[in-house]
Amino acid sequence: MKKRSMAEALEIREIQGVCASPGVAVGIVHLAVEAAADALPPGDSPAADREKLRQAVAAAIAELKALVGRSDEESAGILDFQIEMLLDPVLVEMAEERILAGDGAALGWVAALDHYIAGIEEAPDEQLRARAADVVDIRNRVLGALTGRAPEDFAPGSVFVGKDLQPSLFLAHDWTAGGGIVLFDGSAASHVAMLARSRSVPMIVATGRFEIADGARLLVDANEGRVVIAPEDARIREAKSRMAEAGPAAPPRADGTIETADGVAIRLSAIVNDPLELESIDPSLFAGIGLMRTEFLMTSPADAFNEERHYEIYRQALRWAGDAPVIVRMLDLGGDKTLPGLGARKSESFMGLRGIRLLLARPELARLQARALLRATVHGKLGVLLPMVTVPDELDAMRTIFEEELAALVRRGAQTRMPEIGMMVEVPAAALMLDRFSRSAFFSFGTNDLAQYLAAAARDDRSVAELYDAAAPAVCRLIAEGVALADAMKRPVGICGEMASEPRHIPALLAAGLRHFSVAPNRLADIRSAIGGLCSDGLAAAEKS
Amino acid sequence: MMDNRSRQQAPAAGDAQGYCQIEIEVTHGFGLHARPSVTFTRLAKSFPCTVEIEVNGSHVWLNGKSIVKIMGARIRRGSILKIRTRGLRAAEAIHALQALVERDFDEEKKHGRSA
Repeated sequence: MKKRSMAEALEIREIQGVCASPGVAVGIVHLAVEAAADALPPGDSPAADREKLRQAVAAAIAELKALVGRSDEESAGILDFQIEMLLDPVLVEMAEERILAGDGAALGWVAALDHYIAGIEEAPDEQLRARAADVVDIRNRVLGALTGRAPEDFAPGSVFVGKDLQPSLFLAHDWTAGGGIVLFDGSAASHVAMLARSRSVPMIVATGRFEIADGARLLVDANEGRVVIAPEDARIREAKSRMAEAGPAAPPRADGTIETADGVAIRLSAIVNDPLELESIDPSLFAGIGLMRTEFLMTSPADAFNEERHYEIYRQALRWAGDAPVIVRMLDLGGDKTLPGLGARKSESFMGLRGIRLLLARPELARLQARALLRATVHGKLGVLLPMVTVPDELDAMRTIFEEELAALVRRGAQTRMPEIGMMVEVPAAALMLDRFSRSAFFSFGTNDLAQYLAAAARDDRSVAELYDAAAPAVCRLIAEGVALADAMKRPVGICGEMASEPRHIPALLAAGLRHFSVAPNRLADIRSAIGGLCSDGLAAAEKS
Repeated sequence: MMDNRSRQQAPAAGDAQGYCQIEIEVTHGFGLHARPSVTFTRLAKSFPCTVEIEVNGSHVWLNGKSIVKIMGARIRRGSILKIRTRGLRAAEAIHALQALVERDFDEEKKHGRSA
């Protein structure tokens, strides 16, 4: 039995998981020991066991409080939650019922907590399920205090491998020497994933259980979501070089265009989610901003309704871009993106009141954003992109809002002009009918939504992820038809979905006729090198000659 | 223009003996999870009266001062919460808790997809 699993371990050298925090790490495996209490003998009497448990809980609270003092605000918030849970007498009472029934302090505690954890793990939403790791953390810390075992730390620079990693263990560990995290289960929505991203610790989750020996060497290629057991040096170099390429070291032409192997110019614009990102991006590498999301700029309802905050962000972006265009997408709320009280979903679907539908249903928010955009037009070349347009009436209704707000601003003596207003092409019913949208100044394909609507596979549902991916050829065929319609209307057309940031999709997107790509800034080098090696029909230059 | 934040479907009902009950919808993006539940239970514990909650008409009343119970109740966005308080400062407690839910638990963090 044991021999067989060893052989399997040698055969399976690469394991696919899900990236929870990008980066590349190589290190010696630290295999987590899963806490078990069965071996612990019951104590002298239920009363003594109860007292032991209370003392252990008090010790755990003291440890956590000491940890809070050494942590940043975000980490402290997570530890605060654990402290509050331990202060709640209900937790100890659950264990006491089992202690009175004859379980020892340790077993009573673990059994009660495991029952509670199982309840949370069955929760329907991932955000709540992710909290189970915090309760496991609490369970282990008290168990450690009961049995005199300190929570296991591991050698700096090693790769943690286990079912899940508790936030307090992450916080207590020294990550300055590098290292990474691989979890059999886990979730990119967990507290520990959040912490890993903020400290740039590469992390892969959901690999499923695999056999590996403590002390083996492991490559965590989190950018690709791949774990490589006993990697060869060449494989490590490859992973690290991909990381280096993603940096800003590429020497592109200074106007954000690149030529295909057969000399057709392709424009590359930036996707910006946060005005802070602009500080670290060189504007000369991009043909302006092809998609500036605005829902991410709004950290609270107060900001969403603050016209000056909108205006200031648009002005910053235009200043960054100089002469190049900046395309700002109006608030795209609903679906999986909500502000408190705005775009809250009644059903779990992406098919309800979202994007422009929500903006038109709540025109006060649309008017406020329109005013800020109109005022910003004097600072550069501003375009406005409307999300989730399905029919021409929606475009017309929003244009009317802009015209009315423009007139009001002019009456008040403000300097302003009408920006170009274009639309996202992400609803199939619109993509097929672009010729009906004659008032759209430009078109931008949003492939994330287009793919999920075409495949009827929600993009946030892992159980249909394969179908979502498999929609790519259908998306490309629809794009090709849309590009032909837009060309006939002499309207600019581009793409700002995630497909455009993935080199494997570039040949098909070029073949579909796209010549303007908006990409995530850290993917620029990859996309440039992909385009440079292709002809404008998407075929590899090397194959043609 | 922002009074869609939460829907109070029944007016606060109370009497002179210090009993109050309201019904409210949770609109916070992640529901009543780690941080919001810390904020909620800390506020509840600051009042001498009892605080109990019921989720989605389950007829099971949970101790609103227990974070363990509240986490176990899997409260999410769209859940309908009933809150009832009994005893000293019951009316004050219910108004404070209602206001907290309506302010989305004072969460100032970013909402939306992280990609």
